[in-house]
Amino acid sequence: MKKFLALFLAAAMTVCMLGGCGGSQETKETGEETGAQTNATEADAKEGARNEQAAADLDMSKTVKIGILVSDATTAEALAFRNYYTEYIQKQYNVELIYSDELTDAAGETSAIDTFITNNCKAIISFSSFDRAAQIEQCEGASVYYAVATGTLTEEEYETYKGYEYYVGAIGPSLDVEYETGYQMAKHYLDQGMTNFAIYGGAIPYYTEMHIYRAAGMLTAMVEAGGEGANYKGAADRDAIIQQIFTDGEIVPGAIGTINVLGYVGGYDMDDAWFGKCTQMAQTPDLQAILAVGNGSDFFGTAIEGTDVKIASVDAYASSYGEAMTGGMLDYLAGKFSASIGPIFIATYRAVLGSPVRTEDGSALALSQGYWIAESADDFNTYYAVDSSVETPAYTKEMLDTLLTADYGAFKEFVEAYSFEEIQGMK
Amino acid sequence: MKKNQLKKYIMNLTPLFGLVVLFAAFLILGKIQDINISYGLKSIINQSVVVAVVATGAIFIYTLGSFDISLGASVAVSALIGGMVYNKTENILIMTAVCIGVAVLIGLFNSVLASVFNLPVFVTTIAMLSVLNALILVLIKVNGTGSEIAVPAAAVKGLNNTPFKVVVLLLFFLVSMFIFSFTKIGRMQKFQGGNPVCAKLSGIKEKKMAIIAFAMSGIGVGIGAFLSIIYAPTLTKNTASSVGMDVIIAIVFGGMPVSGGARSKIYAAVIGAFSMTLLSQIMVMFNLNSGIGQMVKAAIFILVVYLATSDQRGKMLPR
Repeated sequence: MKKFLALFLAAAMTVCMLGGCGGSQETKETGEETGAQTNATEADAKEGARNEQAAADLDMSKTVKIGILVSDATTAEALAFRNYYTEYIQKQYNVELIYSDELTDAAGETSAIDTFITNNCKAIISFSSFDRAAQIEQCEGASVYYAVATGTLTEEEYETYKGYEYYVGAIGPSLDVEYETGYQMAKHYLDQGMTNFAIYGGAIPYYTEMHIYRAAGMLTAMVEAGGEGANYKGAADRDAIIQQIFTDGEIVPGAIGTINVLGYVGGYDMDDAWFGKCTQMAQTPDLQAILAVGNGSDFFGTAIEGTDVKIASVDAYASSYGEAMTGGMLDYLAGKFSASIGPIFIATYRAVLGSPVRTEDGSALALSQGYWIAESADDFNTYYAVDSSVETPAYTKEMLDTLLTADYGAFKEFVEAYSFEEIQGMK
Repeated sequence: MKKNQLKKYIMNLTPLFGLVVLFAAFLILGKIQDINISYGLKSIINQSVVVAVVATGAIFIYTLGSFDISLGASVAVSALIGGMVYNKTENILIMTAVCIGVAVLIGLFNSVLASVFNLPVFVTTIAMLSVLNALILVLIKVNGTGSEIAVPAAAVKGLNNTPFKVVVLLLFFLVSMFIFSFTKIGRMQKFQGGNPVCAKLSGIKEKKMAIIAFAMSGIGVGIGAFLSIIYAPTLTKNTASSVGMDVIIAIVFGGMPVSGGARSKIYAAVIGAFSMTLLSQIMVMFNLNSGIGQMVKAAIFILVVYLATSDQRGKMLPR
């Protein structure tokens, strides 16, 4: 028996070794058929041809290994992003994308980057933000390109690292966009005459900036709608409200003029007591809407079944949200679209190919993108059909190829035209 | 008889063979895949050293037939308090001393608590895990920015190099090995773990052994906390969160019997820690997603442990 097991173990390891020998060296189609669309105008066709020629000048014959750092591997948003990279990008470009395990701390990030460098990754795209500065320094030291996906650096960090040769940049919702997202969400319901709200604060207790800014946007909208003298704990403008949330590490329920914040839950404790608090908040008498800085329907959806309470969330386009919208457990979604990470991939790929895109003064990218807003199940279905497609996603290869040779201005314009209508108009 | 002894000897060395095979696989596959092997070796040391140090200290607890489930949280609390002290004093030596001091105190508290209430030691460590996890959140909230406590990277950059870490690991390992294998304490601990009743009748004090074991474990935890700060000076609530489980896996992977006793091996921790990291590195070479990678690792883990412990089941104590 032991002999058999020993042999089996040896065989398993041998299979692992042989398994590792194949696969990665294959080169893929580089998509030379890119270019002139049959219905393009003549000018567009010429421009396309020029891009195609310029793109052809980039040597894309070798498979480029790119490491992807992830701190979340299971949420709808994370799965949608991963699906776009592995099921579309990796099949369209000559790249091999290697994912980290789900990272939980800065040490994990460092280890994962070490592992990527060991495996000859030429670039790293990061969805993990425990210690951005350490990640950038580590990659710079190892001459490996580094990019931030779906996020941004703080102004101070950007000033420090914008001149680093191997720092490609960041493309994602800026804090201004996060603030505006929360503001518009609250305004959507305030404009309907609602006055009684509850807020789900997500990672506010952990002082996560994007969640604080979204909540600040909500509260600012309430202050504006609350009548003369309305304020949130004495704060009446954007900066003061943001400061107040940073001080408290939470949202304190209470009246904001004529508007009422009837309840607040934060964190991701996910234990029975926490879910009990969620249920209790969702069933607060006279409550009209729950505004969530993150996923609201999963935590409060069941508790509001059969009531008129509305739930608004910020997350991504996933089938579960479609079901929640159809079932009345979600009313409003500000969602990232999965293809939004396409441009940062192109920027990273270009850097590896020796054609980095930099700002006019040679700095790394710092571009902002926003969300697609679904205010009904129909909106959601329209957006989701495009977002979930791996044949013709929001950003197709033809569209991304134009970025391979774009200058900074064109790149910026492309990225910042992120609304559903604008993107569809580009096709 | 000789054949049996040879077989036993070979089986005893299975974890070491496993490590050698994994190392060879890493080199061969690395060559085939054209990876950066020298960087990889440094990376393996970086990724293994904290678990190896903490697990080496924890061997003393495991030898008693007990275990400590709160080791990861102990590392985190020690590192957080060490980091806070550094930010006040800007002195690495004081920070190191505080890391070790806090960790030893936590260990001693565990063992003394078990003595006072006459509970199995692992029971108190379960309670301690909850207390330490709560303490982590309090420390970060009160003394940090709300989400982290950061030691300036520049302050520890000079120590974040492979030779320094290897020297620290080696020194701690040699001291532990000396105590474990060449002193009365080590022999008494093995006796206690193998047969507590006989040990008690022979005059060995169970509580004293527990206190020594937890003190040694505390020193390992403290050094692990110090190395954690060097490796990643931004400390969050999740710092070292995987260390507790990694230590258990490393110890078992290294061939340490979970029942403790005379078959306990001080080197099991180091072998296990490095084997685990090598296995992870090989999985990455295959670009296996984490789910499949975890399953493959689990299967190999079970097989190695089965082989390593196959001569221990249903037999008498070694003579």
